[in-house]
Amino acid sequence: MTQKKFAYFPGCSLEKMAESYHLSTVEIARVMGMELKELEDWNCCGATAYFHVDELLAHTLCARNLAMAEKEGLDLVAPCSGCYKNMHACNAHLKKDHDLADHINFALEEDNLRYDGKIKVHHLIEVFSEDLKEVKAKATNPLTGLKVAPYYGCQILRPRKFEHENVEEPRYFEDLMSAIGATPVDFLLRLRCCGAALIITNRQAALSMVRNLLQNALDSGADVIATACPLCQVNLECYQEMVNTEFGTKFSVPVFYFTQLMGLSMGIPAKRLGIGTEFLSPPAAMLAACRKAAVV
Amino acid sequence: MSTTVTFSREIANLLHAAGGTPVSACMQCGTCSGTCPVGDFMDVRPQRLIRMIDAGLKDKVMATRAFWYCASCYQCTVRCPRGIDIAELMYGLKRYTIWKNQYPEDLIGPAFSETFVKTIVRTGRSYEPVLATSYFFTLGLKEMLAEAQNATMLMLKGRLPVLPARIKRLENFKRMIKRIIPIGD
Amino acid sequence: MSEQKQLLIIDDDPDFAEGIKSILVKANYSVDMAHNPKEGWAALENKKYDLLLLDVMMGRGAEGIMIARKLGKDTKFRELPVLIITSIREQMAFLFPGGAVHPNFVDVDELLEKPVEPKLLLEKVSTLIKAAEAKKK
Repeated sequence: MTQKKFAYFPGCSLEKMAESYHLSTVEIARVMGMELKELEDWNCCGATAYFHVDELLAHTLCARNLAMAEKEGLDLVAPCSGCYKNMHACNAHLKKDHDLADHINFALEEDNLRYDGKIKVHHLIEVFSEDLKEVKAKATNPLTGLKVAPYYGCQILRPRKFEHENVEEPRYFEDLMSAIGATPVDFLLRLRCCGAALIITNRQAALSMVRNLLQNALDSGADVIATACPLCQVNLECYQEMVNTEFGTKFSVPVFYFTQLMGLSMGIPAKRLGIGTEFLSPPAAMLAACRKAAVV
Repeated sequence: MSTTVTFSREIANLLHAAGGTPVSACMQCGTCSGTCPVGDFMDVRPQRLIRMIDAGLKDKVMATRAFWYCASCYQCTVRCPRGIDIAELMYGLKRYTIWKNQYPEDLIGPAFSETFVKTIVRTGRSYEPVLATSYFFTLGLKEMLAEAQNATMLMLKGRLPVLPARIKRLENFKRMIKRIIPIGD
Repeated sequence: MSEQKQLLIIDDDPDFAEGIKSILVKANYSVDMAHNPKEGWAALENKKYDLLLLDVMMGRGAEGIMIARKLGKDTKFRELPVLIITSIREQMAFLFPGGAVHPNFVDVDELLEKPVEPKLLLEKVSTLIKAAEAKKK
């Protein structure tokens, strides 16, 4: 890993709803020797809702976080795909639109901050995927036999792509899962949307989207779905029972964060990775790894 | 009142700062509609919506729910061969209807967005239980029960916050917002 | 009769802009219109105006405020009187119910809320132009 220190932006979901994502992130960062310095007094990225109402305000919210990371002299890393997309896009907008940056800096003055466009924004999975050799070396408790459906979702890739990654044919999630000893399956719908906030605003649509994803994950032979976004995790897991009621299906597909799987492979005890707060229990191969991790 | 500004132009004005090409560049290939994961649930699919905008059918577009069904997955945006930023267009239309307070009343989307924004403006952070109030009472009894069950499960698993979070420098934050939206006491 | 005064309206609502334009034209002003901030700024760069009538909520958000601030910072435009005409209170009512509009951090000369009474509009326009001319002398 070339870079070892980042400003860490957990985002609102990771405070409670997706606390296991946060816990496991902190744990694996420690093992990987990566310093994640939580951004002090960070604010909500605005999600999608803010952009529905006022884009200037949405950019201002993101810019405050960017400016605080800039003050630390650190690149920003976000584990939530929504936060990542918003702040990445904001950074791009402000860098090319000087009038916008000037106006937002005027607002940031109220909090004694200034944005100068000196930092980059990364998704958490991007920084871990950059050094697969290191991941492999730390994976002393490999998840042998665990068939994982790597679920990318949307905003991790779109509307833009990582500089080194193809937006239609990414492989880094699969490669990361291979590096920890798991077997990534060919998950056809891995880039298909989970429905995101539609689970609240247009439930019928979202439940049907979730059903399609679950069915496809099962068809591809997966034991577990791995996600890199709290919204995807909640939609796919916590709404599974509603999908079953709605469509008469019998899904019971566990959904974990990629960081939890990485943590297990590094021999970190399950509890410290937030395993146990899920609705659907881990599959056999994961449980075996959990037992070994507890011993390690 | 007669005006020389077409609806298509009005939408282009709304998106003046966005990078994409205007909707008039659309060649009606249907890639957006075909690729949209929510297309089956929209009253009007993206391809047709774009045609309607281009044809200046303002009233019909305003009565459409399609853009409130957009999940912002950007699949249409990255696949449009003409470079139209369709997801951005959906955002623009949402903004347009919110500012004009003109959307079908039974939609949850606008109320949800408004509640969300209110929460952030007041505390700096999002808080799930408050968000739930924006839609809970619009649900049918069966859905309400399912929702309550889910919430209970989350609570049992320790995944629901009891108290709303707020940032420390909230006063600065609020003043910052006032410099962008010059309104409020 | 003095020469015709040149006015510019920047407002994304074409019907509203047409409406106030017709009032102003009847009062013998020459009026140009722009319906987004980008075109509005281009118009200001291309022609010398005696007054700007400026909307607030346009494009991405309160972009009228962005324009007003940019004008205030530019020596070329500092003398240009700006009349803000807005319905921001209505547009953002859900967020700040009953809140007053207060862009007091930007250097605008007057603020009117939509809908605008024609008589009041003409009064404000003529007062602002006269005041700007008096300043120049």
